[in-house]
Amino acid sequence: MQESDLAKFEAIALPHLDAAYTLARYLLRDPHDAEDAVQEAYLRAMKYFGSYRGGDPKAWVMAIVRNQCRTKSLSRQVAKSVEFDEEVHSDDSGSADALALESEAKETIREALDLLPLEFREVIVLREIQGLSYQEIADIVKAPIGTVMSRLSRGRARLEKTVKAGRP
Amino acid sequence: MTPEELDARLKAELPALAAPDGLRERVRLALRAEAQRPRRGYWVPAAVAAIAAALLVAVSGTWYLTSQTNERAELAQQVLASHLRSLQPGHLVDVQSNNTHNVKPWFNGKVNFSPPVGNPEPDSFPLIGGRLDYLHGRTVAALVYQRRLHVINVLVWPEGGTESLGERTENGYTELYWKKNGWEVWVVSDLNAGELREFARNL
Repeated sequence: MQESDLAKFEAIALPHLDAAYTLARYLLRDPHDAEDAVQEAYLRAMKYFGSYRGGDPKAWVMAIVRNQCRTKSLSRQVAKSVEFDEEVHSDDSGSADALALESEAKETIREALDLLPLEFREVIVLREIQGLSYQEIADIVKAPIGTVMSRLSRGRARLEKTVKAGRP
Repeated sequence: MTPEELDARLKAELPALAAPDGLRERVRLALRAEAQRPRRGYWVPAAVAAIAAALLVAVSGTWYLTSQTNERAELAQQVLASHLRSLQPGHLVDVQSNNTHNVKPWFNGKVNFSPPVGNPEPDSFPLIGGRLDYLHGRTVAALVYQRRLHVINVLVWPEGGTESLGERTENGYTELYWKKNGWEVWVVSDLNAGELREFARNL
């Protein structure tokens, strides 16, 4: 890669590093994983910089970070389930745990958000924190715009329910 | 809760975050290291694999390798492998600083020597940091400098004797080495040999 290309890439992508970290932090719920994901995402972004055809650079960076986080989170789940399978456990303990977790009441939106499934969490972060448009979010999560809007409103409703139940 | 109240709580409780200190610099370093990898993507892993294979052959053939030349060649391979390894994301430095007074003490307690850490030309060849590496059956100190997009690794460990400056070229990488004042020093980079010699002269 030419020095001038690197400079161009840095000028476009680096201003969105805070936003990238914010997204990764909320999606992965772990500061170290978030940092790793951001670094990996930026390396990927540079690799595919040649195929970047203009458009909002923030949405472009968000898309790559989001995909990186998804990959990371999926591989983490796989690692976890392997660990879990190796332990002796009753048949229904996994789903029971998940249900218990989801119905748990929380006092803060932040805690409530951490309980939401990734599909809901990502649209909420992209919309409410990053302020992207429905169309941009639809492009990023590769879902129709109607699906994005419905996930957003269902996600918001679940957050509200969780914090209401957890009100001190 | 009205939608407006929920909006307000979302805004208040889900703040945009700032990337932690150091992440920006780490990402920049990783990008730089990646950008300067020749034929990026395939070549370096292939080269690392080839070097690993060569090392394996070299190690299994060590019984026969007694001459000074062969030892030198083997060490040169290890130095290059160390350099290539360092360019992989997250491997360049363990202590990141352009200040010799931060880098030198970092080695305390990690190796049983205190490596000479110079920063002779902070404008042209800035110090980036240091890390530990394992080379030739011992732990060595790696000091990392930069010239434009080129990363320069300086590997140093205590060694008696004196040997004047030697030079090798391998796959477009230049290695300079010498023994002086109780230290063995290897300098490796993809920087052109002329500038690398200039850097080594002032080190």
